[in-house]
Amino acid sequence: MIHFYHVTKRFDRYSTALHDVTFHIDKGEFVFLTGPSGAGKSTLLKLILRQINATEGQIVVNGRNLNAMKKSHLPYFRREIGMVFQDFKLIERMTVFENLSFILTVLNVPPKEHKKKAYQALRTVNLHHKLNAYPPHLSGGEQQRVAIARALINDPLVLIADEPTGNLDPDLSHEIVQIFAEANLRGSTVLLTTHDRELIRSSGRRCITLEHGRIADEKARTLERPHVREGLFGLG
Amino acid sequence: MRREFLPGRKEPEVPSNTFSYFVREAIRRIWVSKRTSFVAISMIAISLLIVGVFLLVAENLGRAAREWQGKSRVIVYLETDATPQQQQAIDRFLASKPQFAKRHLVSREEALTRFRSWFAHLSEVVGQLDENPFPPSYEIDVDPRQSQSRLFLADITALKAMSGVDQVQYDWEWLVRLRRVIQVINIAGLVAGGILAIAAAFTIANVIRLTMMLYREEIEIMRLVGATERIIRGPFLIEGIVQGTIGGLLSIVLLYATYEAARRSLAPSSSLLWGFLFAGFLPWQKIAALVAGGMLAGWFGSWLSVRERGEE
Repeated sequence: MIHFYHVTKRFDRYSTALHDVTFHIDKGEFVFLTGPSGAGKSTLLKLILRQINATEGQIVVNGRNLNAMKKSHLPYFRREIGMVFQDFKLIERMTVFENLSFILTVLNVPPKEHKKKAYQALRTVNLHHKLNAYPPHLSGGEQQRVAIARALINDPLVLIADEPTGNLDPDLSHEIVQIFAEANLRGSTVLLTTHDRELIRSSGRRCITLEHGRIADEKARTLERPHVREGLFGLG
Repeated sequence: MRREFLPGRKEPEVPSNTFSYFVREAIRRIWVSKRTSFVAISMIAISLLIVGVFLLVAENLGRAAREWQGKSRVIVYLETDATPQQQQAIDRFLASKPQFAKRHLVSREEALTRFRSWFAHLSEVVGQLDENPFPPSYEIDVDPRQSQSRLFLADITALKAMSGVDQVQYDWEWLVRLRRVIQVINIAGLVAGGILAIAAAFTIANVIRLTMMLYREEIEIMRLVGATERIIRGPFLIEGIVQGTIGGLLSIVLLYATYEAARRSLAPSSSLLWGFLFAGFLPWQKIAALVAGGMLAGWFGSWLSVRERGEE
């Protein structure tokens, strides 16, 4: 589902965020991405969402080579990915419902279904009673959960979250991971970044560790496999 | 249901339910940026008002020209001391030409009576004169289709040369000139209005640019969640069109108010001088054209600013 082949990301001559990174995440997997601050985790997620382009190497997500993908295909590609941003990226002037409804508008879901779908997504994160609240009136944890509901609303093929448990107490962290685990059971491939070693250990999931832009340690590190090679030459 | 993007399949660029979203967002943004929107709308309204004034003057001059042309008239002024023989010769000449059949002799007394009724405030001045200053004349209604034929013009030349004829006045010469003036007014209006409309479009472009700056974080979020450029830019385009339309409608209201105010203050006091300028307001086609002009200027302005802002 997500394949990195010798990916390097250089911002300028003196600043290289990722060095020759190769890893593979299969369809339906639940993977943690960890490492100290500045290790390149956020850069890696930006590459997956094609917010930025790789300097070297190839990235294949859901069978599509991101380097070769046309700009006009980018919005449709992003609609398959549910992304939970570290800073939530909620539209502050919109209510919780409107934040979710906007995604449904983008996805051409008939307006009469918006309320039902938004309610269901918010129920998943236990925030269905905050449908008409504005993001600035919610706590950090609540905003986090709205962002998760927005990412889940479309049952994405890939669910990515950047530090979704940062600044949360352990109970709430486990609750959030549980939400992602349920999405994973429904078929989404999940990639979470976190600093919380205990959370990773207790979940027993696969973990990729980045250090200084390189993969330092990966449990069950996967090598380049022939069945994913075809994606490299797939349509962008 | 899980949606999978297939590269070969072309999804609709603008989902069917987004138009109402565009309109809602556009109106909300205009409301949020009331002051800048007001400037843009005012610019459009003033530009179109100027075009409208030119169009209205030209329209009423055109109406007057059509009316005057419909009853083309030749007036043959005789010399005040023309002898009865000369007058009979002139009358015989006119009677021999079928195009001069509809003629009416206005005697000196009738001319004086008419003057007194039309210019009542000047009748005292005329009363102080020793004798009636008005010459007798023939008023001849002619068919406008014949009035510019060579034969007709030859007859007029012959008439002018007859003894006892002081002056022959016919109005199509100046009607032709009037039509040229109307054309000039129309062109001047369109040129002046066009320049102002372009200036207004650039004002709208700047207003939209400012709004886009204001919403840049939101636009970034929209892109990240998979909104196409059309969905992102749609509300801005509609915003420009709505501003232009409001400007166009406002210009019509202002034009009508100006027209009515001018008609009430100018028309009754000197109806002969100004009356023809107040024959009527613009026809609906021109009103629609002015509003459409506003919409077009608004669309052009917003298009100018959204086309240059894509994802880097």
